[in-house]
Amino acid sequence: MNDLLNHPAVQGGLAPFVAALIVALVLGRARLAGLAVVAAFCATVYLVSGFVFEPLSATRRIVLLALAAPVIGIVVDFAFKPTRLGTAILALAAGLATIWVFWPVLQQKDVKIVLSLGGGSALFVAWLVGFSQSFLSQHPIRAGAAGLGLGIGVGVTAVLSASALYGIYGISLAAGAGAFLLPQMLGGKKFEAGATFMLPLALTVGLLAAATLILAQLPWYSLLALAFIPLAARLPAPEKFPLWIQAVAISACTLAVAAATIALTWQSGGMLPA
Amino acid sequence: MSRLALPLLALVLPLTAIAAPETYTLDPFHTFANFSIDHLGFSTMYGRFDKSSGKFILDKAAKTGSLELTVETASINAADNEKGSRQRSRDDHLRSPDFFNVAEYPRMTYKSTGVKFNGDNLATVEGNLTLLGVTKPVVLQMDRWKCGPNPFNKKEMCGGNASGALKRSDFGMKFGLPVAVGDEVKLMIGFEAYKE
Repeated sequence: MNDLLNHPAVQGGLAPFVAALIVALVLGRARLAGLAVVAAFCATVYLVSGFVFEPLSATRRIVLLALAAPVIGIVVDFAFKPTRLGTAILALAAGLATIWVFWPVLQQKDVKIVLSLGGGSALFVAWLVGFSQSFLSQHPIRAGAAGLGLGIGVGVTAVLSASALYGIYGISLAAGAGAFLLPQMLGGKKFEAGATFMLPLALTVGLLAAATLILAQLPWYSLLALAFIPLAARLPAPEKFPLWIQAVAISACTLAVAAATIALTWQSGGMLPA
Repeated sequence: MSRLALPLLALVLPLTAIAAPETYTLDPFHTFANFSIDHLGFSTMYGRFDKSSGKFILDKAAKTGSLELTVETASINAADNEKGSRQRSRDDHLRSPDFFNVAEYPRMTYKSTGVKFNGDNLATVEGNLTLLGVTKPVVLQMDRWKCGPNPFNKKEMCGGNASGALKRSDFGMKFGLPVAVGDEVKLMIGFEAYKE
């Protein structure tokens, strides 16, 4: 059993998928199926590194924010109506959270690097959170497809950029998004996504990508390419078709951008995939 | 009384000088922290840190002393630094957050809390290793120890080999456990230091 739980495919794929599927099915009627993505991430963190927060490294700050984000998401969904101001506040908070996560690293660097790496990362995370909250959170199929593309994109590029840990974390988010999509595809009935799903997903995946940029070897232009994945989830889709066709079509778009980002990152290592 | 004081002082002063603590600065060109670790349960992999610095203070008469060693984690060298056509080398991976997280924790430090002598030779150093922001006690055994003049430049120096062991999981370095990369890390430090 221990051998099974120590396998990366189980830690980053199977275990988070099963945990997310259970949460989506159990909490779907309570409009909390979006917690599936947090369940997936938590399952992987538990299996890979455990919930330890001392000393509070950048990676542990990301885990801490991933745990706090669904609480904020639930409050946003159940206590407030979606407004542009609310979305702007969430995006700004995500940007500031990015600076908080990486400040111990950034303060050791030159001002130029602080502005480029820190500022660029904060903008990237704010963009993911702001755009996904504005344009994807009310569309559970598009939200799930964006999560699938972002998780795969960030996960695989992290592995290519020398961090298998961030790779497994990213892929666990994709597994969570997949588990959120699957019952909708099979049952033909939509879950609620909202900030409960979109905020933890966009914030965590964004911070993981930024961590791969700042702490590992992700090229900056790969981060830029990843930013197009949520846009791909907004491309026109056959709204009148069954949900599973919509999910496949939109996921194909987000995964295509993720694949392009992976190829770009691979090329930076000196060789394009054959 | 005052007639006796001066000769007595003259006798005591050289003894005091012998007993004074001596400070030695580690020679970065001849001081390397080496390590070995199990890989996949099949073999032992070796590596070292190319850059380190520090000093130690010894009071040979009182048999006391202290040691401070700083190792630049980005200087890790596990004999695989050229990635070639691969995406990354093993050294790249060791520098990443999976292992040493060098961007966030560029240094690890060792500060002694006590030393033990075996006769005139330094035998054991007890101290605390700080790695990835976690501080844990690590004991270093002196496998070899010698002090004397450098045969070429005649400068007074001490040198030797120290060894110890630690569990990397104690420092939060858990990636690859328990199958891919072992938990126990063996340390082998070769060092030379010149008296200031």
